[in-house]
Amino acid sequence: MSDSLQQHESSEESMEPGLEFLAPKFESEAFPWTQIMGYVFSLVLTFAALLLVINHAMAPTLLLAVIIVLALGQAGLQLGVFMHLRESRGPAWQLLPLALAFFIAFGLIGVSYWIMLFKTGVS
Amino acid sequence: MPSFVPYLIHTLFPPDTRQPTELGADFMILVSGAGIFFYLQHFKKWKWLWTEWLTTVDHKKIAVLYLVSAVAMLFRGGVDALMLRTNLALPNIQPIGAVEYNEVFTTHGTIMIFFMAMPFIFALFNAVVPLMIGSRDVAFPRLNAVSFWLFAFGALLLNISFVIGGSPNAGWTGYPPLTEIAFNPGPGESYYFMSLLIAGIGTTITGINFLVTIIRMRAPGMTLMRMPMFIWTTLCTAALIIFAFPPLTVALGLSLLDRTFGSSFFTLAHGGMPMMYVNLFWLFGHPEVYIVVLPAFGVFSEVVSTFSGKRLFGYTAMALSTVAIMFLAYGTWVHHFFTMGAGPSVNAFFGLSTMLIAIPTGIKIFNWIFTMWGGRIRMTVAMLYQLAFIPTFVIGGATGIMLAVIPADYQFHNSYFLVAHFHNVLIGGTLFGLMSGLYYWWPKMFGYKLNERQGTWAFWCFAIGFWVTFTPQYLLGLEGMTRRMYTYPLGFGWHELNVISTIGAFIMGAGFLILVYNIYYSLRFQDKDLTGDPWDGRTLEWALPSPVPEYNFARIPVVNDLDAFWVMKQQGVTLASSLRAEDVRELELPRNSGMPFILGLGFFIGGFGMVFEWWPIAIFGGLIVVGSLVFSAFDYNDRKHMPAEVIRQTEAGLGRLQA
Ligand code: HEM
Ligand SMILES: [Cu+2]
Repeated sequence: MSDSLQQHESSEESMEPGLEFLAPKFESEAFPWTQIMGYVFSLVLTFAALLLVINHAMAPTLLLAVIIVLALGQAGLQLGVFMHLRESRGPAWQLLPLALAFFIAFGLIGVSYWIMLFKTGVS
Repeated sequence: MPSFVPYLIHTLFPPDTRQPTELGADFMILVSGAGIFFYLQHFKKWKWLWTEWLTTVDHKKIAVLYLVSAVAMLFRGGVDALMLRTNLALPNIQPIGAVEYNEVFTTHGTIMIFFMAMPFIFALFNAVVPLMIGSRDVAFPRLNAVSFWLFAFGALLLNISFVIGGSPNAGWTGYPPLTEIAFNPGPGESYYFMSLLIAGIGTTITGINFLVTIIRMRAPGMTLMRMPMFIWTTLCTAALIIFAFPPLTVALGLSLLDRTFGSSFFTLAHGGMPMMYVNLFWLFGHPEVYIVVLPAFGVFSEVVSTFSGKRLFGYTAMALSTVAIMFLAYGTWVHHFFTMGAGPSVNAFFGLSTMLIAIPTGIKIFNWIFTMWGGRIRMTVAMLYQLAFIPTFVIGGATGIMLAVIPADYQFHNSYFLVAHFHNVLIGGTLFGLMSGLYYWWPKMFGYKLNERQGTWAFWCFAIGFWVTFTPQYLLGLEGMTRRMYTYPLGFGWHELNVISTIGAFIMGAGFLILVYNIYYSLRFQDKDLTGDPWDGRTLEWALPSPVPEYNFARIPVVNDLDAFWVMKQQGVTLASSLRAEDVRELELPRNSGMPFILGLGFFIGGFGMVFEWWPIAIFGGLIVVGSLVFSAFDYNDRKHMPAEVIRQTEAGLGRLQA
């Protein structure tokens, strides 16, 4: 909605020659099937993890591994289906901050793991 | 039916909410509520309230809403502080007892950080960021209103806890097991988690909104290295918010699950790990302290350059140090729990990383001083706060470094020395910065200056009161007084220092009263500022009339310097002097919407239901939330047109249209 507020932005139709790569690559579907399926799948992934944990369905280590895999699947699903990861206006600049985000997120998780290691010696 | 009523009364107003202070608060709420109601009713202002304020998506009005809430919360948090200090000055009488003391310090901290500092910062963001970058609005105007209403209803939820059901009492950090349902029954802590979760969604949205606004909506010519310093700090604050709030959400959400649904993420029993909460909380908590101080740095950078009549010294170094602080802020959180026992290598790593932050901060301090050097300094109230900030913040930073020395921290930790440190940086940095920004940008927001003479009085009360309050607390900490004590034996020799500290707190309280009078007086008697540029400013917001028209810029300016407006003035070609009728085009502006308010209300109702575990109410609130989201998704009628002729007339009426 904001783009239209900016007078200086040129309209999309009249792309200057040489700048065609800036043309928007947006998904268009008559009915948002991808989104609906994505929504259903994300619920499935969530409840699968919940049920596995509540029922102690496996040995703890295996359980952890399985829910981590489910979580990664969930993250990929959210990014791909709902966060417009595959769409862009021109080069996919969003990958850059996304890489940074992954770096920070996994860095924080890794360091938290390091910090909390001590408890194995205490309790 | 009859058994229903006592149940309600007992749940909503249990015995510990029937103390004199609570009843006093009840009374005040009723009186002021009735006053507001009759005012609106008598002057037939309901429609005005709805169309002008409750449904607005205009960033300038949202700024006013944030500001009003922040000042109200400053009042509430300040009254809490005075209650705490009074209790400590009279350790034998204890006007408020142990139980209430816990509730009051918890509310004080939570309100001051989440419901005073944060909205105050967002008030400044909303008031000036789009203007400074030459844009007509923020990137997502309706989401901006959603942010505000989530904040407002979150704040309301926390505030009613004092009189309905019982306050949280486990500190602003809410550590388990203090918050575990087994040890802390009643709705108090659920209020805390629920209200912060709701407000946190709003805060995250604000972070995204301003990040996108700054990246995408700068005027042509405003490269990154031509952004005013306040824009740089806003950008970094937004990035900090986006990464810092998720860990908080996780920590709060899992705690709420533990309390409400019997899970055991952080419980003592069943293999829970309370220390993980501490880790997650500070993973948010340390970036949070920079979230509240970076905007203040930005304000000071603008203020110092305007009132020294000079370009900001070392602009590039300033920008880079802001970015450096942003990154380093993620790498220091363990210094809040050195004593947890994580072992020497972990502690040493985080002790060092903490000290590193002093380097970019020091760079900033020097740059501010060099900006003043040789400048023609004007002693306005905004500048007075800047001058008081520098020594105050230096001392706060220095005591921070002392706390980062790990062996020493085993002594200082959770003593009054720590309390003095963080008030030193939070008041001397954040609050002074917000005050400075308030006086500086007030004329832009409202079209007249705040009275400077009264402002100076308020300033001296805050500055002197601050030192009288907190210098004794450093000493008390060294003498072994720990934080969150509600009383102490007289024989320890702590009494005199505590009395002095309390006197200082009341001096600051007087400062607040003067500030409120200052606002009231200026509203009624100050002359209108017709220039739009009362301070001889340097950045684009001063190129506009005050208050700014709804569409901000009749024509988007082209920027070719850091001090864009200053250069325009030097060259004699300002926006007003160069606007011709044919430059003005029809504009599309966002249309008002009631959805954000209703959404917030839904969260409030649902949150209230969650707190008391009244599931029908919780589900009803949830349905309102889902309903307003669905409505919003299909509401394509979200813009309105503003004809060029209206804009021409407005500009001509302001004398800003050339024939
Ligand atoms: C050079 C800069 C700084 C350093 C080295 C520093 C260092 C520290 C350390 C080591 C602690 C933990 C002490 C303990 O718990 O024993 C601490 C606590 C704290 N600091 Fe700072 N700090 C700095 C700046 C700031 C700033 C700018 C703010 C906020 C605007 C701030 C706010 C706080 C708060 C709120 C706490 C304690 C919170 C609590 O336990 O409730 N600090 N600081
Ligand atoms: Cu910290």
